[in-house]
Amino acid sequence: MLKKRLIGVVTVRHGWAVQSFGYRRYLPLGKPEMLVENLDRWGADEILVQCIDRSAKDLGPDFELIKRMGALGLSTPLIYGGGIRDVADAVKVVKFGADRLALDAMLWAAPQRLETLSRELGTQALIAHMPVRINEHVLSWLNYSDRSEIKLNSGVLSDLHLDWVSEVMLTDFEHEGIAYSFDEAIPTRFPLLKKPLLLFGGISEPAQIQRLLSQSNVVGVGVGNFLSYKEHAIQRLKNNLGGMPIRAAHYADDKNSL
Amino acid sequence: MKRKTVGIVDYGVGNYASVQRAFQALDYRCRTSQSPEILAESDLIVLPGVGAYPAAMSALHECKLVNFLRDQARNGQPMIGLCLGMQLLADASLEHGTTAGLGLIPGQVLPLEPVHWHIGWNTIEVVKEDSLFLPSDGEAVYFNHSYIFQVPKEYQVCISRLDQPFAVGVRRGNVVGLQFHPEKSQTAGRTLLKNLVEGLTCA
Repeated sequence: MLKKRLIGVVTVRHGWAVQSFGYRRYLPLGKPEMLVENLDRWGADEILVQCIDRSAKDLGPDFELIKRMGALGLSTPLIYGGGIRDVADAVKVVKFGADRLALDAMLWAAPQRLETLSRELGTQALIAHMPVRINEHVLSWLNYSDRSEIKLNSGVLSDLHLDWVSEVMLTDFEHEGIAYSFDEAIPTRFPLLKKPLLLFGGISEPAQIQRLLSQSNVVGVGVGNFLSYKEHAIQRLKNNLGGMPIRAAHYADDKNSL
Repeated sequence: MKRKTVGIVDYGVGNYASVQRAFQALDYRCRTSQSPEILAESDLIVLPGVGAYPAAMSALHECKLVNFLRDQARNGQPMIGLCLGMQLLADASLEHGTTAGLGLIPGQVLPLEPVHWHIGWNTIEVVKEDSLFLPSDGEAVYFNHSYIFQVPKEYQVCISRLDQPFAVGVRRGNVVGLQFHPEKSQTAGRTLLKNLVEGLTCA
């Protein structure tokens, strides 16, 4: 049986892992590799590393960071987002250690490139990452680069070539960083009812995760800040998600014991 | 005792860093290369792969590795194809048109219908009395693909299920293919990799 996923999210700004609050205020947490290593050891189902300053400054992907994470020998699937401009960037990101790509700025700047990326890397490798909120009862999509927003309706979505991505990650940017605050109306307002969804932003509590994962089109949830302060935080969450179709808590063996 | 060497085929289409680190964590020497001489010297060849079939086969042709891999498999050198690398073992794929594969295990690569994608952790069921795979029966491993290898039953070693069961582990002699990513399947994946390397290279 295909399991739903608990994704550990690490937000990186200026090369440092940060605790983010609504993508407006940040507190440093330390080296991203340290957090990623913990998530790997705790048995996250996937790890998302999102470098939030790369596209706005046209810096391209943080290849050095990806290489360093690749060198960790992670045994957990890694999703990378931040600064990916074209196929050449994407192929290098995968070569250095990422398994999938989260694309945000490209949806605004050049959505037609999704097809080219898909033909090179496969649609299954691509995730559309969309920061959203409910504004006046309508789903509103944030352009992180210039902080502008537009209403996210079927017309806008039809121009985004989302047939070339396998999943859409909806991030509640307004509540991101605030515990137990994810706006649960967000997935219900997303017009593409059959698109598999990942949800992130203000998700912290098992009861909330259970409600979100109970929706048939929600295939995973991301948890970020709230994993940073307790040892075995992933296993603790999983152990409190009884009855959900998720992989049981995994405790890493000593690699040398195999 | 001499450490075994895993030769990882570098043809520009793959998650080499992850694959290499996984084998190194299991205490194998790794040589990532597109040189036939280097790959031929290794105890076992690993063919990784991420992306689309035509681009991958095209890259193998450009690197002049197609005939080399066919010859090595026929000569009995152990070989493991991972994810797209497993699909490349097939006769052909229908991804973005028809593309001939390596033809090492009979069968075709077809779109996964009606679900389109198989992403995430799923259980594998071992359907053959194969001692290399049996310890992994019932384990959850990580998948990330949208095409499947339709292969005759005699070559199927393990399956997974979405709406229908389909092959996710295939074997013909010393050639093994895994549709999932053992290198990204935590302890379950690494245990399987260890069993495969030790089992395939013990002769």
